[in-house]
Amino acid sequence: MHQLIVLFTIAISIGAYTFSRFLSKRYPHPLVNVVFLSTALIIMVLLSTGISFRQYQPGLNVMTSLLGPATAALAIPLYRNRKILLNNFIPVALGIVLGATANMTTSILAAKLFGLSKVTVVSLVLKSVTVPIAIDISKILSGDPSLTSAFVIATGILGTVLTPILLNLFKVTNPLARGIAYGTTAHGQGTATALLEGPVQGSMSGVAMGLAAIFTSFLAPLLVSSLVG
Amino acid sequence: MKEDEFMNYWLRVTLQITLLWVIYQLGNILVGIMHLPIPGNVLGMIILFVLLSTRTIPLVWVEESADLLLKHLAFFFIPIAVGLMEWVGLFQTSGLQLLLAISLSATVGILVTGLVVQIFAGIRFVKEEIKCIN
Repeated sequence: MHQLIVLFTIAISIGAYTFSRFLSKRYPHPLVNVVFLSTALIIMVLLSTGISFRQYQPGLNVMTSLLGPATAALAIPLYRNRKILLNNFIPVALGIVLGATANMTTSILAAKLFGLSKVTVVSLVLKSVTVPIAIDISKILSGDPSLTSAFVIATGILGTVLTPILLNLFKVTNPLARGIAYGTTAHGQGTATALLEGPVQGSMSGVAMGLAAIFTSFLAPLLVSSLVG
Repeated sequence: MKEDEFMNYWLRVTLQITLLWVIYQLGNILVGIMHLPIPGNVLGMIILFVLLSTRTIPLVWVEESADLLLKHLAFFFIPIAVGLMEWVGLFQTSGLQLLLAISLSATVGILVTGLVVQIFAGIRFVKEEIKCIN
């Protein structure tokens, strides 16, 4: 019975992913989001079949076993674009450092203003970091991994909608600047949208996502200990 | 794809993923030994970048599996996000505050990043060799 539940949870997860991926390719829109749709579908199936999250956990461990190597693989887009990165080092580095710092400090301040709990604040700080890295930083800072991933995904959806509107409003036309802005705040989901704008935007967004995650993993512990306490 | 080509592809991908896994574990081990405050996967990513840049590892050794894993990166987040079913109460009591906090913070982050890069790089951008992410 136990093995059957594990197999069932893996099957519905792969099924939900395949279906959501098909939908998002057919109807590309920031709200038709693969992670958001699949998660909602899986939770609905689990609730209706009476399977708890504890019972889902063994299947989860199997399915995420390749997440570590996949995260290391993020070095490849960085390596492929190293020339353009080196040629524009100062603007790119400043943009990512200041942007990621702004993301972290404003989310701590807003969360404190609304009186949210410490575990929520810590999870919210990582909202712009790509999921695999965010959940690991979250564990180090005693945040909650699933809460962190929810905030990251929400930021991906909101950021993907907000980025083009804000950049057009403030006349940010340089494709390098647009790509870095997509990736620093809206991580992987922003990168997918930036790719639709153009190859410079897409590749630079991927680079920004990786570098912002590295920078955040160094700065977040310091900011959390000094601002959250 | 012929049958043996298909087998060869998956054999290569399996070997390449094993190499990526070794690099990832190396990151974990070093973080543990040196008591670094960063996740092992971040250090693994840095190690792989250094190995590629110094030509210790040629790109073709990891390229196919990396492209495959990155193409389906979103799949790995989904089971983790399912953990949200444990947090229904928080979204019922503070959903609006959370939405506001994320929107406000993202707005500042997007504008700071975009404006800073454009101010320092200039409005025009010299087209250079661009390689797509996957």
